[in-house]
Amino acid sequence: MSAAGLERPQVVVHAQQSLNYTVFDCKWVPRSARLLCLGSAPRGTGVLQLYELRGGRLLLLSEIEKAKPIKCATFGAASLQQRHLATGDFAGSLSIWNLEAPEIPVYSVKGHKEIINSIDGVGGLGIGEGAPEIVTGSRDGNAYNQEERVVCAGYDNGDIKLFDLRTMSLRWETNIKNGVCSVEFDRKDVNMNKLVATSLEGKFHVFDMRTQHPTKGFASVSEKAHKSTIWQVRHLPQNRDVFMTSGGAGSLHLWKYEYPAQRSKKDSEGAEMGVAGSVSLLQNVTLSTQPISSLDWSPDKKGLCVCGAFDQTVRVLIVTKLNKV
Amino acid sequence: MKDKITCLLFVVPAAVFLLSRMKSSKTNKEIRKTYHGITVNGISMTKKEKIFIATREKEKGNEAFASGDYVEAVTYYARSISILPTAAAYNNKAQAEIKLQDWDSALQDCEKVLDMEPSNVKALLRRATVYNQLKNYQAAMKDLNAVLCIEPENAVAKKNLLEIEKKLKELKPGYKTEGRGKRILIQDIEDSEGDEEGGENAEVCGRSSRDKKIVLPVRGEAALGKAEMGNAQRKFHSKGGGSKLEDRGTQKQKESTESGLKKGTEEKKSQKTDHEGEANGYLNSNQTSESPEAGQSSRSHGAGSLSAGAAHSTSLPPAAAKLKSEGNELFKSGQFGEAVPKYSEAIEYVISVGERSPDDLSILYSNRAACYLKEGNCSDCVQDCNRALELQPFSLKPLLRRAMAYESMERYRQAYVDYKTVLQIDSSIQAANDSVNRITKTLIDQDGSSWREKLPPIPVVPIAAQLNRWDGGNFTSEVKPKSPTDINKEEQLQMNREKAEEKFRTLKNEGNDFVKKGKYDEAVNKYSECLKLNTKDCTIYTNRALCYLKLHKYEEAKQDCDHVLQIEDCNIKAFYRRALAYKGLQSYQASVDDLKKVLLIDPNVLEAKKELEEITQLLSLGGVAVADCQQKQRKKITIQEVTDEQEEGQLETAEDVVTDNLSSKEAVQKCVPSRTCEKLTISEPSNAYDFGQIVNAVNASKDQSACADLLTITDPKKLPVLLSNKLEGEIFLIFIQSLAHYILGKDPGLVYQHLFYLSKAERFKVVLALLSKNEKEQVQRLFDLLTENQNHQYSLEELDSLKKVYEL
Repeated sequence: MSAAGLERPQVVVHAQQSLNYTVFDCKWVPRSARLLCLGSAPRGTGVLQLYELRGGRLLLLSEIEKAKPIKCATFGAASLQQRHLATGDFAGSLSIWNLEAPEIPVYSVKGHKEIINSIDGVGGLGIGEGAPEIVTGSRDGNAYNQEERVVCAGYDNGDIKLFDLRTMSLRWETNIKNGVCSVEFDRKDVNMNKLVATSLEGKFHVFDMRTQHPTKGFASVSEKAHKSTIWQVRHLPQNRDVFMTSGGAGSLHLWKYEYPAQRSKKDSEGAEMGVAGSVSLLQNVTLSTQPISSLDWSPDKKGLCVCGAFDQTVRVLIVTKLNKV
Repeated sequence: MKDKITCLLFVVPAAVFLLSRMKSSKTNKEIRKTYHGITVNGISMTKKEKIFIATREKEKGNEAFASGDYVEAVTYYARSISILPTAAAYNNKAQAEIKLQDWDSALQDCEKVLDMEPSNVKALLRRATVYNQLKNYQAAMKDLNAVLCIEPENAVAKKNLLEIEKKLKELKPGYKTEGRGKRILIQDIEDSEGDEEGGENAEVCGRSSRDKKIVLPVRGEAALGKAEMGNAQRKFHSKGGGSKLEDRGTQKQKESTESGLKKGTEEKKSQKTDHEGEANGYLNSNQTSESPEAGQSSRSHGAGSLSAGAAHSTSLPPAAAKLKSEGNELFKSGQFGEAVPKYSEAIEYVISVGERSPDDLSILYSNRAACYLKEGNCSDCVQDCNRALELQPFSLKPLLRRAMAYESMERYRQAYVDYKTVLQIDSSIQAANDSVNRITKTLIDQDGSSWREKLPPIPVVPIAAQLNRWDGGNFTSEVKPKSPTDINKEEQLQMNREKAEEKFRTLKNEGNDFVKKGKYDEAVNKYSECLKLNTKDCTIYTNRALCYLKLHKYEEAKQDCDHVLQIEDCNIKAFYRRALAYKGLQSYQASVDDLKKVLLIDPNVLEAKKELEEITQLLSLGGVAVADCQQKQRKKITIQEVTDEQEEGQLETAEDVVTDNLSSKEAVQKCVPSRTCEKLTISEPSNAYDFGQIVNAVNASKDQSACADLLTITDPKKLPVLLSNKLEGEIFLIFIQSLAHYILGKDPGLVYQHLFYLSKAERFKVVLALLSKNEKEQVQRLFDLLTENQNHQYSLEELDSLKKVYEL
């Protein structure tokens, strides 16, 4: 290993835990060393497990079984004090749980006829400034919510659409020619800055969302990363320019976005258009033979992250040297 | 397919959120107002929440700064400040404002930092920059001198000072200000590395790529080169590693492409940087290794050991020194070919003069070797290194250079031996460690498992030549026993000074930690040790005075305060603490005098006001109930000290968060005492929302007395309305507890009323049904107590029926 190699961030598996069900999503409980794993048990019920990181191991604190498999969850709309969890399940219901009393949901509504594939929220944890809002997407839709009150959805035909919730209109759309697996804004609580969209065939696109050109839309840069589907992208909560993608072959890639010298320029007609920067690979690591379907950075501890893979294992990872990238 | 896709949005009614609604497209001012609104309206955020949010806003600011969006960065820093003012946030904001050339605001922010931390080097530097821009050269010089008082080694400050002096002399203000201003900024950023809390790191990293671009073109200017290299060194160091591999060549292609990934087109540039980075940085990064090259005192910030030395190396004949410095300059600007003859001339001159100063000659050889190495002339490099090593056995740089030359020539065994020798001298040289690993691999490939047998013997380094990073305080004299020149002593002194500073800082932090834990005895010890190292730091004295106060050693406390006041005649803390000491010593008149001075300096110090009232009373009463007052004193000081430490270092709070995260519940509970310091102020809630907020805060801190206050001022009849449907087990429990522990003694009637109306609240039945046995017992006990204290406000029958409602 060269000197330069040691300078780069390293991805280290800190703890791993094999599960007896298929894990769809895992999430850190804010302000704690606990994490939630949720998924589908073999007999078709939903499982929700709470683990605590203790002495390098994951200790199961509690387990709850629900009627329907749970696909996704978010703490995005929960306040720091309450930390209610919002989940979306295979039946299309959105439920909000108080983890202290998980028997009955605090709130539940059937929003979709079919599976909820993605969920996100704002308003909790001091993020954003408004009432808590949760957005869910069904049937290959991916939806995320942000401070400008926009929702971005990716579709399996490669469409990415940006909806403005204030005017309830479509603000921008594009097509990346490949099914979209995951989209995420780099931060939910600032004016739109960047958006990363990952695709079925191993490419991902980073859009600079600061400058929207009337015809060309947002500038973007794309990178071919994994040889397989990129299932997830997650930005480091403490540094929006660093993000991790998880691949279908069980690999994780850590990236850094570098801004161009000028983020916008004038085109021939004098309209402002954005300039995309570049993406550099900081590290890659292969953890599993199966796809890593979920990924979550700890909101509190920089570099701590958890991922769940289809080999029915959750792994707690430590990414080092993130303050030096 | 598309028509199946649905996106729904729910506004969740059940969740309650901390902050009020805010429109997103807002200007700077609006944001500030709203945030002020929040804090002032006192939707009581606990300290932890404030720290959390403030830190996050600061991080956002750093990110924006990194992407070059300074306006936005200022906005976020302002938010962070409005939630919790910290020196770091002000400092960062000042930096962003400097970038925006908003000198006035930057000046204000710097001043705020300096109010909090009078010796914040970065703030002083930034203020100097601003003053410089505002053409207030005198003030800028004053600030820079202040910086140099604190950090005599600060290269940036030195350089800027020189520039300003020059400007003053030339009396040509405005000339080239632009360019200079820029330079200062660059250094400033790089300089901030690691020094301030994590946040600033982001700043540094984010900038680095672009800064380098800015830096590079101007590198030719000699004056600039030095300071920059010192700062940029760390980064170049790693890059250097990468491109060296390329130089050397073929078999390492793979590695170098990996590490070179970033460089891409910048290769040419980075190569250039590499030279310099290596010339000084390669070894300098661990400062111990500087000595061989530096018969010079240029240890400070790695600021070009090659160059800076020339002026100082008195033992060289002047002509040779001049040649050497010329050579160094050429080397620095990358003209290695031209540097060689300069060094050669210098060597010839030294030999012809016949002066026997082996170490200087050795350095010259070593420098020439560096040039050869750069040129790829490995055999000459090896020769020169050999000569240098003959003159000065076991000096680090020639050894390392020879090792690199051997490696390039693919003479791995010799290279291995040399690297090993280097590691014996100083085991912390990363480059050597890496190379040893790499070569080991190559050798195993080449020679199989018995590769070790084919190695030439590795010389054993005498202990005198071995460096140990940790007690490097006197290594210089060990390395160069032959030439104990004055310069060496000076260098040693500087080393000691720096070590002492570092030790001083750690001792101080340890002391502060002890104070936080309430171990005042140990804290006093630490502070005393600090004072052995540095007798001029007032904060140590004031801190120690505080400890003495807690330990009731008033005489000592007074002495410490006296001492501080001799140095700084208007140190408000010293006055305040001396007042308390006087109070402890029962000389109330003196105490009153001191408190008046405190109020004269800052009329807003509440503690002092209260204390003054108290003592005036005591004066008139003639000193009754002294012990009682002491009790109160202690409490107040705690509060003060906590805020004090907040100013001193955000780092601590960050650590706090970390421990909080990783430890489990127990740890969280341990934190509670520190939280109770800031008591929740309870005002009468007017609506269910307010009430809910307060209850949540109370519940989060498990503050029974605050809850009791809340219940006392709340009309029992309104309770069901105020609670609406938010009654939960935990809230119920804390109500019961505070009723039992705090209110029952004062007003049993109110307790009955509350219990009565609590039972009318929504969800009461549900909560009751979910109570555990233990919790039920608590309720039972409360009722028992009520029965005992029965009075006219309620009858036993009423109580019994209420008991039934509570299912007891």
